[in-house]
Amino acid sequence: MSKSSTQWHQQPKFPQSHFVDSRIYTDEQLFAEEREKIFNKCWIIACHESEVPNAFDYRTFSHPGGAPLIVVRGEDMQVRSFYNVCPHRGNTLLYDPVGNAKRITCIFHAWSFDTKGNCTDISREEQGFQKRFCKADAGLREVRAEVGFGGFVWVNTDDSACTLKEYIGESLDMLEENMSMPLEVFHYHKAIVDTNYKLWHDTNSEFYHDYMHYFNRVTGMLQPGYFDRKYTGYPNGHASVGSMEIKYDAYEGSKARGVGWPGLAPGGWILIDIFPGMTYNLRTSVLRMDTSIPLGPNKLLIEFRGLGLKSDTPAQRAERIRDHNMIWGPFGRNLHEDLLGVHGQGRAMRPGSEPTWVLHGREENMTIHDEGGMRHFYAEWSRRMGRKSYDPFGERKTSAAA
Amino acid sequence: MKTDRTAIAEVVYRSCLALDEKNFKAYLDLCDGEFQYTITAHSPEIRKDMVWLDHDKAGMQSLFTNLPRHNSDHSPVTRHATVYTVEVDEAAQQATVVSALQVFRTSLDGGATELFAVGRYIDTVKCGGETPKLLKRVVKLDTRQFGFGYHIPF
Repeated sequence: MSKSSTQWHQQPKFPQSHFVDSRIYTDEQLFAEEREKIFNKCWIIACHESEVPNAFDYRTFSHPGGAPLIVVRGEDMQVRSFYNVCPHRGNTLLYDPVGNAKRITCIFHAWSFDTKGNCTDISREEQGFQKRFCKADAGLREVRAEVGFGGFVWVNTDDSACTLKEYIGESLDMLEENMSMPLEVFHYHKAIVDTNYKLWHDTNSEFYHDYMHYFNRVTGMLQPGYFDRKYTGYPNGHASVGSMEIKYDAYEGSKARGVGWPGLAPGGWILIDIFPGMTYNLRTSVLRMDTSIPLGPNKLLIEFRGLGLKSDTPAQRAERIRDHNMIWGPFGRNLHEDLLGVHGQGRAMRPGSEPTWVLHGREENMTIHDEGGMRHFYAEWSRRMGRKSYDPFGERKTSAAA
Repeated sequence: MKTDRTAIAEVVYRSCLALDEKNFKAYLDLCDGEFQYTITAHSPEIRKDMVWLDHDKAGMQSLFTNLPRHNSDHSPVTRHATVYTVEVDEAAQQATVVSALQVFRTSLDGGATELFAVGRYIDTVKCGGETPKLLKRVVKLDTRQFGFGYHIPF
């Protein structure tokens, strides 16, 4: 039976943890707050260490909190991160996404910096500044950076944040053995989609949408063990999904995977979501990493990486690439479907549209079609935002568990 | 045997028309039995050449068979190729053909057209038979961002 406007707005008959107000996906004010209270407080993956393999290699990164960053490997081989902003007149220091620079020199007025963020040259320093300002006053703004958990370079713009190890806690323990060998990025691309970053993370946090994926239905949902996979929630909003054996040869044109991954059962699949927008997705022979960089409440940049082992032979690497492309490549079977799904949500929940409830109400003992992974995320979101995800503006007369 | 430039270029153009019309049988009919199809792109961000799709003729057939089982964006895309160079190796009875490629996407709702991708076709065409056949196609993409993407190869 269809609903009237009044019925449409009635609170779902679930506990308040089991639905959210759709305005959390569209509201400009909430988005600005998310940048400050979430993205500028949490550890975020900027790149992988294999993207800066040599001394003086750098990589630029658009931090989701708003700051443009540089990740650079110093002469001492330590990876550091700085604002990609000249302290003189605020110009961009490094324009290219990657490069190698012993000295980082601003093109505007030729101020130079080393890979530890020290200013090494101010052109005509004494003539202009006399003794009032000198190189020691002109260092770069350093951002905390740590390499870990698969060799990813994590950054945190909050100087007082906890350590990366404390932030991750036990959430990535399930992958510890799988990430014990050095990894290397072999695939990278970006997608910009008119949707909210949380909706992409939701897609990575629930498997009920396997109904959208023909590939997952025939290789997973129809196979034994599929409904045994379980969600586990961890502190700080992270969540994992246990493994199962995917039957790849059930899809026409596909075949059982041969290369595999250290410590992972053949056909295995482990997925771990890291708050607020990163996902480790290890499937048979490939580790996929999604990093969400929200550009607005309804505009999202997603970075997609595919990783193999640094020790791969050319034949092994080629097989990993084939496995990756079959489902996750830009022309792969699943990625387009996932992106189409969140694009559709962005279209429907556009700013100014009638707010509605978004349901996270499935309970199946935290197994694969339970929506507990999303509920866990929104509990952390609410804690950090100081707002209730089901009532972000404190205006609804919501009742307790119905 | 047609080894003139016009006949070779026509294979490239017909391949665009066939895929634009989602006439996958017609597309595969233009391909030799040993056909190899690859999409590549270079990522400056990771300083690597990437392979995004790699199939033989049977693999392309499987891909085309499976596509209707998947959820896809239904906006039509139009491939516009311009054959730049045709280098015929008479001894090998093959030609190397380099074409510029632009792909346009037209929205179903309203019909607005946008440039979707640019790149090149680097084709090897087999010339020894009744008509030239595609032996190998490398789609070398400059564009690496496709928004919510697309399922059908270029």
